[in-house]
Amino acid sequence: MNFIKKIIPMKDFTLRSLMQFEKTPLNMLMFVITIALLVAFGWGVVEYLVHSHHAYNITRQHPWGLLIAMYIFFVVSSTGLCIVGSLGDVFGFKDYMAMSKRAILGSIVTILAGFAVIAFEIGHPVRMLIYNVLSPGLTSAIWWMGTLYGIYLTFMIIEFIFLMRNDMKNARIFGLTGLLVGLAAHSNLGGVFGFLNARIISNGVFYPTYFILTAFITGIYLTYLMYGFRYKMQIPDDIKKGLLGLAKIQALLLGILMFFETWKLMTAVYGGMPGRADTAEHIFHSAGFLYGEVLCGMVIPFVVMLATKWQSIKLYVFTSFIGMIGIFFMRYDLVHDTQVKPLQMMKITEYQLPPTWIEYFPSAAEIAIGFGAIGIFFMLYYFGQKMFELDATEH
Amino acid sequence: MARYGMALDYKNCINCKACEVACKEENGVELGAEKHRIWVGGNNPEGQWPLLDIASAAFLPSQCQQCDEAPCEEVCPTHATYYDENGVVRVDADKCILCSYCMNACPYDARYVDDRTMTVDKCTFCSDTRLARGETTTACQNTCPTKVRTFGDLDDPNSEISELLRTREHFSLKSHLGTNPKLFYLT
Amino acid sequence: MKIIETSRRKFLQGSVALCVYATSSFSSPIFTTKTSDKKVKDIPYLCNMCRNKCAGFARVENGTLTKLNPNQYFPKSRNMLCPKGNAGIQALYDSDRLKYPLIRIGERGDGRYKRVTWDEANEYIKDKLLKIIDEQKDNRSTVAYCNGEGFNKDEYIKFFGSKLGSANFLDEGSICLNTKLGATQLTIGDIGEMDVAGSDYMIISGANRYESLITPDSVDMIHAKQKLIVLDPRCTMTAIKADEYLPLHPGTDLAFCLSMIYIALKEELYDKAYVKKYFQDFDKLQKHILKNKYTAQWAEEKSHISAEKIERITREFFAASHPLYYLGRRSVWSANDFQLRRAMVLINALAGSINRKGGIIFGKPFRLKEEEITEPFYNNAEGRFDLDGIVYGSQKGGSWLNFREKVINQTAPYTVKVLFVRKHNIMQNMPNITKTKKMLTMMDLVVVLDTMPSDTAMMADVILPECTYLEREDMVVSFNRLEPSLALRNRVLAPLYESKTMQDILKGLGKKLSTPLFEISSKYDEDLQDAIKEQGKTKAFNEGGYNLAELYKDDISTRNKKLILTQFDENVYVSLKTKGVWHPYIENQKNLGNDLYEYYPEDKRFYTVQKKYKVNCFLKKLQKYGFDAMPTWHDRYDFKPAKDSFRVITGRYVTSTQTATTNNMMLKDMKETNRLWINAQVAKKLEIEEDDYVIVTSSVSSVVLQAYPTNKIAPQVVWFAHGFGATAQELTNAFGKGASDNMIIEDKFEKIYGCATMHETDVNIRKL
Repeated sequence: MNFIKKIIPMKDFTLRSLMQFEKTPLNMLMFVITIALLVAFGWGVVEYLVHSHHAYNITRQHPWGLLIAMYIFFVVSSTGLCIVGSLGDVFGFKDYMAMSKRAILGSIVTILAGFAVIAFEIGHPVRMLIYNVLSPGLTSAIWWMGTLYGIYLTFMIIEFIFLMRNDMKNARIFGLTGLLVGLAAHSNLGGVFGFLNARIISNGVFYPTYFILTAFITGIYLTYLMYGFRYKMQIPDDIKKGLLGLAKIQALLLGILMFFETWKLMTAVYGGMPGRADTAEHIFHSAGFLYGEVLCGMVIPFVVMLATKWQSIKLYVFTSFIGMIGIFFMRYDLVHDTQVKPLQMMKITEYQLPPTWIEYFPSAAEIAIGFGAIGIFFMLYYFGQKMFELDATEH
Repeated sequence: MARYGMALDYKNCINCKACEVACKEENGVELGAEKHRIWVGGNNPEGQWPLLDIASAAFLPSQCQQCDEAPCEEVCPTHATYYDENGVVRVDADKCILCSYCMNACPYDARYVDDRTMTVDKCTFCSDTRLARGETTTACQNTCPTKVRTFGDLDDPNSEISELLRTREHFSLKSHLGTNPKLFYLT
Repeated sequence: MKIIETSRRKFLQGSVALCVYATSSFSSPIFTTKTSDKKVKDIPYLCNMCRNKCAGFARVENGTLTKLNPNQYFPKSRNMLCPKGNAGIQALYDSDRLKYPLIRIGERGDGRYKRVTWDEANEYIKDKLLKIIDEQKDNRSTVAYCNGEGFNKDEYIKFFGSKLGSANFLDEGSICLNTKLGATQLTIGDIGEMDVAGSDYMIISGANRYESLITPDSVDMIHAKQKLIVLDPRCTMTAIKADEYLPLHPGTDLAFCLSMIYIALKEELYDKAYVKKYFQDFDKLQKHILKNKYTAQWAEEKSHISAEKIERITREFFAASHPLYYLGRRSVWSANDFQLRRAMVLINALAGSINRKGGIIFGKPFRLKEEEITEPFYNNAEGRFDLDGIVYGSQKGGSWLNFREKVINQTAPYTVKVLFVRKHNIMQNMPNITKTKKMLTMMDLVVVLDTMPSDTAMMADVILPECTYLEREDMVVSFNRLEPSLALRNRVLAPLYESKTMQDILKGLGKKLSTPLFEISSKYDEDLQDAIKEQGKTKAFNEGGYNLAELYKDDISTRNKKLILTQFDENVYVSLKTKGVWHPYIENQKNLGNDLYEYYPEDKRFYTVQKKYKVNCFLKKLQKYGFDAMPTWHDRYDFKPAKDSFRVITGRYVTSTQTATTNNMMLKDMKETNRLWINAQVAKKLEIEEDDYVIVTSSVSSVVLQAYPTNKIAPQVVWFAHGFGATAQELTNAFGKGASDNMIIEDKFEKIYGCATMHETDVNIRKL
């Protein structure tokens, strides 16, 4: 232990102290939620181990489901927190300096939660580790994304170590490298979809850039949530300034996002190109898009921030919760929408209706693993807080 | 060493499913609606009885298009999907990690998951069965009552398929995607 | 079968539990054996999945049949295997197969049987049969026997007819195509063969050649350079692939044909030289047709096909150099079927398309010699009664519906107590299943020889498991007339389980029955008593031919070799054993490309042969019995279903052969069930949507199945495929899938050949 402490400064804790927390109603609620989610995750994993992919509602036409969406959800969160964390220690914005530690820890635990999900989505994760090295597919966006996220995680951990050691110089070096690798990894994840020639609705430059933009937005939402929870809404002044600044950035980012989305839809629908226009219209009419993505993810937070003139942190914490629901729908929809248009439009048996839109709804096991992983995030974050001093210290 | 391709005189297809059954029997393909390597896409004639437009009803035998520029091969993170020495797009089940990226990338819906190995499977032009024992046709070509398919070496100028493609007009599916399929539909 | 010594109820509980487990734990993958990359010696065989008998090669690896491939040497099957042919492996390895002899221990139809040895089964049959024949005073016709389409039917008839002495043989002809065979035979003196490949203009009435494959017709149609006209109330695959599709009212094809004849006569389009040389009673025909004014306008009213089209097509037909009105081959539609087929033959004859390329040809088939056996003569055996009241009828296969009617109404001249059933699913194959069930329950002994626990097998007292076609050698068969060939079914694998070939089954029965039955005859038959007095028992038995198993002294291989070598030569025999086929040009077949071959060179085909024949326009016998001597329309043929009711018509899928293949797991994978085709606009009015369950009710009964609203069928017509709706739970793949057409089809039959008319039932449809 001491050896580890030499590398990375930690608080003094015992196993017992790790398990103890103040029994406030909010803490108790979080405790119950976390345990419930972990149990769900465990049950989902057992289902998967028994029935393999049959436990999921994925099909030949819709091979990617909720778990891919949740993986993206977590890694986008990670990248977002990395960006927020970098504002202070990498770019040197003083107002955000105090947030770096917490944000970087957040980025590490979210990506771990993401990996926990993808391990049960990929059919053969161990084989993946082996052949990723032995037989790298360099033209594959998944290979780059996976490999870069691996490196990214390493850099994030190193950065975190230097942050904890208050070695800001090295933290900055590794922070910058980590950020660049993270952005590369993350845009490659967008590329996984953007490269799909066969899926006109996703093909192109939109997703790689959109991923970075929405990552930043997600990072800000999560920062609000973390600090809102950390200080039970009694935000200290050194943080307050940064958070108020983030609100302005968030409003700007949301504005850009809405602008992007509008043009994406307009260009998709314009001209009525088959496979793109019809799909875009289909997406436009789906509840997930309208209420999830647009209302929760963009409009409500944007309006709230605009209406309160960037001054109401408490409100922003709640708005961020709504915002994260919107972010979830963005992830879920991008996976679903990519696959919603069938590639084979003819009937292959007499007694079927001509193919229209591919339907998908996650199975219980998928829901358990996908949302259960949020419990992993909570748990790791909780232990992180207990073990490390994340609040600003003079340096 | 050859470059295998297939020409389909698809207007002769009567959607009898002989090819589908032959494929499943030859290659031990799983039964079940989703587990098909080859299939026939069809549509009903347009119009209302008795004024039916019978010419509008088409039946398109389909399978892996054996692209020269296969999106599934490009996106595979572990090279599990590869071109064999005859240009056939194959899957090495030992390397497949079942990320399903190829299933999403294939523009033809030609890939599915084999539940026995939990890896992605597809049409192999019978490479590991018939061709491996020296036969010159695929199961689907051989059994077809109306002999819709012509199978052969595209690099051999004297092959039947080369002659067909020189003399008959043909098209490929979704050719605008630049996949360069080696399945040719004769018109 | 899991029903041995267990009650059906218990068995059901077991299977339900199994299903639940299977759905909760996701059923494990089902698959067939993949072929290997090793070369093996392929075994030539003949398919038996339908009536065609295509030739193929079987691939056996380590004792397992892994693949069936087409045989390029057989002119008939043109180097192809259809989906059913390919799925033959699953017929062999069907886990529901009949594996052991079974004797019923429960009530008829309740599925309770016990497993017995072959000897016990034969002993059981012997005891029952002797008692019955003794009671019937040696009237051998109290034993009825039936056999559906297939090889070995003649051998089966030789056992029960020639040897055992029953007159009551029934086959599928009277629920199939006897009217067509009869119409051709009676009109041009031969059943002939249609040269589809040689025809440049072909009209098809209702025959769905692309979904009910007939080799080589279906294959030739695709490759022939011909104009194809298809008449059908349903837009079938054949209609879709036609050059012209003529949707018409069910049962009005005759009106179309009569109008064609009218136009041909009126406009003198017919082949005058041919008519002059071959037609009998042409003047009567001419007078009859012209007098009745079967004009195109008249036919339009009846058939719904426009007069202008009828006229144009008639002119095109008679102007073509090789026109063919395809006679079809399928179940009889309506009461006018015999004269409809005759009208078709007459149209071909008027065009001169008889005994020439592209028409109905006589050709020159190989005639195989019959093996000689001695047939005993039974003085007390009565004649058949099922052709009473039928004008012609098939002397061979009789009339099923008339037979059944007389048995259940007890109007037959004597009682039929025993029924032997082979390869004939009579519980599903004839209209009004309730009556068939009644007939079977009236029998004292029902013995079923089959490979599968069919609905019929489940009504048997004794079930004898026969092996499939892949587990036996059969006698060499001659095929076709234009490009004649011989083909031999070689044995691919030894019979699985305790199943046996039909010959071995009959041999066992024969050994058991011959002497005791002889004893009964000697009790009642005075001629036999005289012979015994004169010659002694042994000699009378031997010379009288009372050894029922005489034909099976030698095994099939030996018999085949003997037969082929006496009539042909060693080369033919070797070819049949190694290639499964022989024809004179087998060594020099020309490859036409893409695995298609030319078999006989064009100039060696038997398009035209020397043959004396006449075209009979007028059948006096019919007139004598009060029927139309010539094709005639009657108002009762008009298509007029009552308001809100539908005419139900049947057919089948390309993936199934009647009810024989519905349990095949591979074919089930292709087409799991049947559905009710109903006109989409009509369905909309009735608020019936795809997948909805509907109840279809006729005067006989009702069935429930899912609806398929489609634009491919006429508004007042509904269709669903034959072959589904099995009630035997032992058929685990087929049970509960779809509905049986014969549950609701009314049991009407026409009186010229005694054939069941399948398309004369009107039904009501109600959404469930």
